[in-house]
Amino acid sequence: MSGYYWLASYPKSGNTWMRLALWALRHGKPVDFAEFAGWATVSGLRAVFDEVLGVESSDLSAAEIETLRPRVFETLSGEAPEPMLRKVHEPWILTPAGEPMFPPAVTLGAVYIVRDPRDVAVALSHHQGTSLDRAIAFMRSPPHERGAVWRQIDYHWVSWRRHVESWLDAPGVRVLPVRYEDMVADMPAVLAEVATFLGWDAEPEAIAAAVEATTFERLRIEEEKQGFGEKPLRMERFFRRGEAGGWRAVLSAEQAARIQHDHGAAMRRLGYLE
Amino acid sequence: MTTVRILCGLKVVSDLPLPDLPPWTGDGRAPDVAIRLGAVPDRLDAPVVAGPLLQMGTDGTCRFAIPGVAAYLVEGGHTVTVRAEMAPDSTDVRVFLLGTVFGVLCAQRGLLPLHASCVAIGGRAIAFSGVSGAGKSTLAAAFHRHGHSVLSDDVTVVDVEAPGGPLVLPSFPRLKLWDDVMSAFALPREGLERSRAALDKFHVPLDGRFQAEPLPLAAIYRLEEARLPSQDRAERLNPVTAVQSLEEDIYRCRTIQRLLSPARRFHLLTRIADAAPSYRLWRRMGLGDLDAQVAALAARQPSDGGGRA
Repeated sequence: MSGYYWLASYPKSGNTWMRLALWALRHGKPVDFAEFAGWATVSGLRAVFDEVLGVESSDLSAAEIETLRPRVFETLSGEAPEPMLRKVHEPWILTPAGEPMFPPAVTLGAVYIVRDPRDVAVALSHHQGTSLDRAIAFMRSPPHERGAVWRQIDYHWVSWRRHVESWLDAPGVRVLPVRYEDMVADMPAVLAEVATFLGWDAEPEAIAAAVEATTFERLRIEEEKQGFGEKPLRMERFFRRGEAGGWRAVLSAEQAARIQHDHGAAMRRLGYLE
Repeated sequence: MTTVRILCGLKVVSDLPLPDLPPWTGDGRAPDVAIRLGAVPDRLDAPVVAGPLLQMGTDGTCRFAIPGVAAYLVEGGHTVTVRAEMAPDSTDVRVFLLGTVFGVLCAQRGLLPLHASCVAIGGRAIAFSGVSGAGKSTLAAAFHRHGHSVLSDDVTVVDVEAPGGPLVLPSFPRLKLWDDVMSAFALPREGLERSRAALDKFHVPLDGRFQAEPLPLAAIYRLEEARLPSQDRAERLNPVTAVQSLEEDIYRCRTIQRLLSPARRFHLLTRIADAAPSYRLWRRMGLGDLDAQVAALAARQPSDGGGRA
């Protein structure tokens, strides 16, 4: 029995940056995107689900898949020799059978990365190649459609606010909230805290080296050199700006007010509204 | 009512209607496989594989179940017992029968099921393997659209030790396609059966372009997703890597590999690697590049006659 650490976040909130920093810390060397590919990968890989259960997930309904996902995590947790780190963009939810989709019994903890939803809206519009207004609408009420069948099981989308609350208030789960803004301001302190939470031994020198290896400038240069495999094809570059508060120069006052209207309670809780 | 059909050259008698399979037109020999409605135990005694849905006993007997649909007991490569939780003639019951259950049954008979779709190019069988979501069915559908015959969709059964083998045994004359693929190919949905009542996924008949006779396996392409334009390419695998890759291509590998001893498995996979080159095919996902991919892949194969590629 080993168990999972979930690296959870709404999309475009710094999850990949954190995974890269943890990779650099674990491996003690500069990031190589080719080596990084597949590390601390998403929890909902179709191939893993299908292989563990012996079924084609594309023959199952979304409700059947959700109902079976705890069985997959339990099976793999029983086999893995050491704790597993998995990226999650899905909310913490109950399955149609009424049990947590991420079973507490095999959950060692969750690092929940959160970012000002006004900056998320800007990043999301670039990621999805849509307008700011559409990104804002998506964060409020995502469509319930089943997309094409790709390598990942379809996300169970919820609003940004619901996403934040689902993880921060997940019953029986040890959660470490991490703010993207704090990563930008003081990554060494944040990375040290996350490493401790994960039970990793990390000397300050190792932390400093990992942070240095995954500065935004470094990642951007690396992406120009060899490309980044997790970038959507239509997006120009994955590592775009990497800053906090950029929304002020991009969103109209009305757009910012709309986001505040949709997610105000959760924003206040995280210190995004004064 | 009993129906008699053909599947991978086997004579199948079934209590369930099997409209996916062609009728048996061969001789009056005893059936090779019987599919019966009946009782299925809730669990196997002392299973060697005890997955949440799929279990295997020491003698290779398998139990597979989809809650709310059906439980299946597969024994000796010749008998499948089905306990349906819905109307036994619904497509939902058949989908899993012709998926996991079918793969297990073939493996029990000493055949090697690969997680692959397979098309005929120049009188040879070309298989496209890959993980779920890699685009196996979509690529087979694209070949079909360009006039090629199809041998199998998702499960490709190989008779490794047949004379002239390894041979691909044709499975059934239909593809399972999602709504978006059908739209992209302008395929009509009227009159087509949904593969599951609740899914926008359809059984599309091959309309005369089903390759009903076995063909020698000539190449295996393992589909990989190219995330960067620079990655688009086919890379020939060396014999050692080819055997490793084939091992991952075994259908329902976690369970089915247990039906073969490691030595036997190595023997079969080596025979395949000796007879047919394996490639890793990096390709762009999405429906836009398919025509070009089909043309490029068809051009890679020798036109006819001659030795294997």
